[in-house]
Amino acid sequence: MSLDRREFLKWSAAAGAAASLSGYLSAQQKPGAQKAAKRKTEHLVLIAFAGGVRTRETFGTPANVPVMVSMAEEGVLFPRARTANLGHFGAALSIFTGNAEQRGIRENVRGKDVTLFEYLRKDLGWGPNEAWIATSGGAQQVNYAYGLHPEYGPQYGANTLDGEGIFNREFKQLIETWGRPREMPPREKELLQRVRRGLAGDAATQGAEQVERFLLEELTRGTSDLTGANASDAKALRVARNLLTLFRPRLTAVVLQDADIAHGNYNGYLEVVRRNDAAIGELLEAVRQNPQLNGRTSFLIVPEFGRDSDLNSRRGLDHGDGSDDLRFVTCLGWGPDFRRGSVVQEEVGVVDVAPTVCELFGAKARFARGKRLPGLFA
Amino acid sequence: MKDRIPVLGLFFGVFLGAGTGYSAQELAGGASAALDGRTLRVLCLELLGRPPLPEEWERWLGRARSEFLAATIGSKAFWEHWYEEQLYYFLLINNFRPAQDRQIAIPADLAAQRCSVREALHRIALSSSFDLRNPGADTFVTVVLEQIAGLDITRSQRELEIGKRVYDGASGVFLGTQGASQADVVRNAVMSRSSVQHFLRREYERLLHVKPDAAALPVWIARLEKEPLAYGELLREWCTSPAFDARVARGETLENRAFVRALFVDLAGRLPRFEEAEPMREALDALADSTPLRSLSARMLLDSGKLALPKKQELANREAWVRERYLRLLGRAPTAEQLADALALLEAPEGRLETLLYALVSSPEYNRS
Repeated sequence: MSLDRREFLKWSAAAGAAASLSGYLSAQQKPGAQKAAKRKTEHLVLIAFAGGVRTRETFGTPANVPVMVSMAEEGVLFPRARTANLGHFGAALSIFTGNAEQRGIRENVRGKDVTLFEYLRKDLGWGPNEAWIATSGGAQQVNYAYGLHPEYGPQYGANTLDGEGIFNREFKQLIETWGRPREMPPREKELLQRVRRGLAGDAATQGAEQVERFLLEELTRGTSDLTGANASDAKALRVARNLLTLFRPRLTAVVLQDADIAHGNYNGYLEVVRRNDAAIGELLEAVRQNPQLNGRTSFLIVPEFGRDSDLNSRRGLDHGDGSDDLRFVTCLGWGPDFRRGSVVQEEVGVVDVAPTVCELFGAKARFARGKRLPGLFA
Repeated sequence: MKDRIPVLGLFFGVFLGAGTGYSAQELAGGASAALDGRTLRVLCLELLGRPPLPEEWERWLGRARSEFLAATIGSKAFWEHWYEEQLYYFLLINNFRPAQDRQIAIPADLAAQRCSVREALHRIALSSSFDLRNPGADTFVTVVLEQIAGLDITRSQRELEIGKRVYDGASGVFLGTQGASQADVVRNAVMSRSSVQHFLRREYERLLHVKPDAAALPVWIARLEKEPLAYGELLREWCTSPAFDARVARGETLENRAFVRALFVDLAGRLPRFEEAEPMREALDALADSTPLRSLSARMLLDSGKLALPKKQELANREAWVRERYLRLLGRAPTAEQLADALALLEAPEGRLETLLYALVSSPEYNRS
C-alpha cells in the first residue's frame, strides 16, 4: 500500500466529500431529525479539557491561556458550569451523554446512556467517518465512543482514536521493523474478496479500509515523536487537527487528561494547561487556514471538573473537597452561530453540552437530562 | 489411557459437583468430552490468553477436557496470564506496570502454591504502581472500594470518608476493621467478604462472559474463604460446566490483548515478545473499533518477510494445508465452498499463502472466538 502524500490528500478529500454528501443526503431522509434552525456550523470541535482543570488556572489567570481568552472575546463564556465529581471517566462521559454518569474510576466498560455521537449519527444518518473522538487517557477512554442503550449502540458510535495509545513510539518502531505492507495487485485482491465473501458474506468493509489507510499514514508521521508534559494531550490534539483537515468530519471530539498530573505536581499541571492552550491554538489556526472549514467550524471547550481549593501535602491538587473550585468550571463556545463577547453568569451544567451540540446540528438528545446552553446562540 | 478417561471424568465430576450449582452428571459430561478444535482453542484463549501452540494441537486434540484442565490450570503459564489479566483489570499497564520483584514473583508463587489469589491481589494493591496509578486519598480509596471490595461508591460515601481519613493516618473502622494507614485501607478491603464475592463474580464473567448463577455464588465464596487455594478447582468446574459449553458455542469477541498473542501464535507459531505485544496491544486499545488496525497489523506482519511460511510451490498437499489452517485459526473445518475458494486462490499465480492467511485472521469469525 504505497500512497504518496499528494495521492493521500486527494483520496482523503474525495472520501471526505463523499462521506459529507452521503451524510447530508441521509439527513434529509431521516424522520427523527429535528427541524434545525439555519446554521452556519458544519463542523464542530468539542474539547473536554479534562484531567481536572480549575478556572483559577485558566480564565482566572489569562496569561496561562491566551488562545482561549482570545476565543472567549469572540465567543461565549459560561463561568458557572456545574460538574459532578464522579471520577475523570464518569465526569468526562457526562459531557458526551448529557447525564451525570456514575462510573468506577478504573471501570473499563461502556456506559448505559446514549452518547451525542449516537444521537447525531442515528437521527441525522451520518456516516461512520462523520464523528470522531481523539483521546489521550488510554484504553478506558475508548468507551466514550458509544453506550449500551438498546436503541443505539456501536453501529452509531464515533471512531475513537487514543493518541497516546496508537502513536506510542514502540509501536511505530515495530511498524518500521516490519515495513509497510505491499500493494495488493487487483487480481490478488479479487481472490481475497472471494475468500472473504465465503467467510463472512457481503459485509461491507469500505469504511474500515478508509480508516486503515488513514491509520497507516498517521502512523508514519511525526505524531509518535511528540514529547513534553502534555505529550498525550498533544497527540490527541494533533490527531484531531489531522482528522479535521483530512476527513472534515462533522464532529471532532477531543478528551484531554494530562492535567491530572496536578495530584503531585502543581507546576507540571500549569505547564500542561499552558501547552494545551497553545495546541488548541494550532488547531484553531488549522481551521482558519482551511477555506472549507473557516467560517463553518465551531468550538466548545469544557473541563469535566475542577480541582480542590487548597494544595495537598505533596504540594499538588487533588479533586475531592467538594469546593466550588472543584464543582464549577468554565465552558467556552466559539463559532459562527454563537454570540460574540458574551459572558453568561447563569448557572449551567456540563451535562448541557450534549443536548446543545445535538440541537446545533438538528438532532435531539432525547434521553439526556441536560438542557440547551442558554445564551449561546446568536 | 483413553479407556480410563470416562471413569476419570466421572470421578472428577462427582468430586467437584457437590454443592456447586451444577449436577455431577453435567460436570462429568463436560470433563470427559473429547476436545474438538473449537473448544481447545477457546480453552487456551481463556486460560492462557493465546491459542494452542503447534505442539499443543498435537498433544491435546481429541483428548479429554479434564486432562487438559488438570495439566493447564495451576501451571506457570496459566498464572502468568492470570496475573496479566489482573494488572489489566486494575489498569496497571504501560507506565504503571509493576516492576518490583515482589509483584513480578506473583505468578511463580501462585504456581508453587506459596500464595493464594487473595494474597496476590493484596500484593498488587500494595505496589507503588497501584499508588501511582491512583494518586490522592479520594482516588485511591474510591478505587479500592470499587475494584477490590466491589462496592458502589454512590452508596458507600460514609465508607469513602472513613477510608480517606485512614489513608491519611487517622484511626478509624474501615470496612468493619480498625485501620490507621494507607496499607490498612488495602488490607481491610482485600480481607472483606465482599472482595471475595466481587473477585469470583468478575472472574466468572471474564472467563464465561455471563453473570454467575446467583445460587452458586455463595457456595463458591464459602469454599474459597475456607480453602484459599481452591480457586483452581472452581475454575475446573466452570470450564466443564454447561455454561462454558454455551460460551464456546456462542463465541465471544477476542480482546485486543488476546488478539495480539493469537496473531503471533497463529502466524509465527510463537508467542510475541513483550516489546512486540505491548505496543501493539496499546495501539489496538486506542481504537473503539480496532478492526482496521487489527487488519493492518496482520497485513504488515504477513508482508514483513519475517514469518517462516512454507513456499506455495513446495506444499505437497494444498488441501491438507488449507484444512489445517482452518482448524487452527478458526477451530473448525472449512465448508466445501470455502475449501474451493481457498484452493482457487492458491491455484492462481497471484494468490499467495499470505493472502489466504490474511483473509482468515481478518475475518469476523477469527476475531470472535
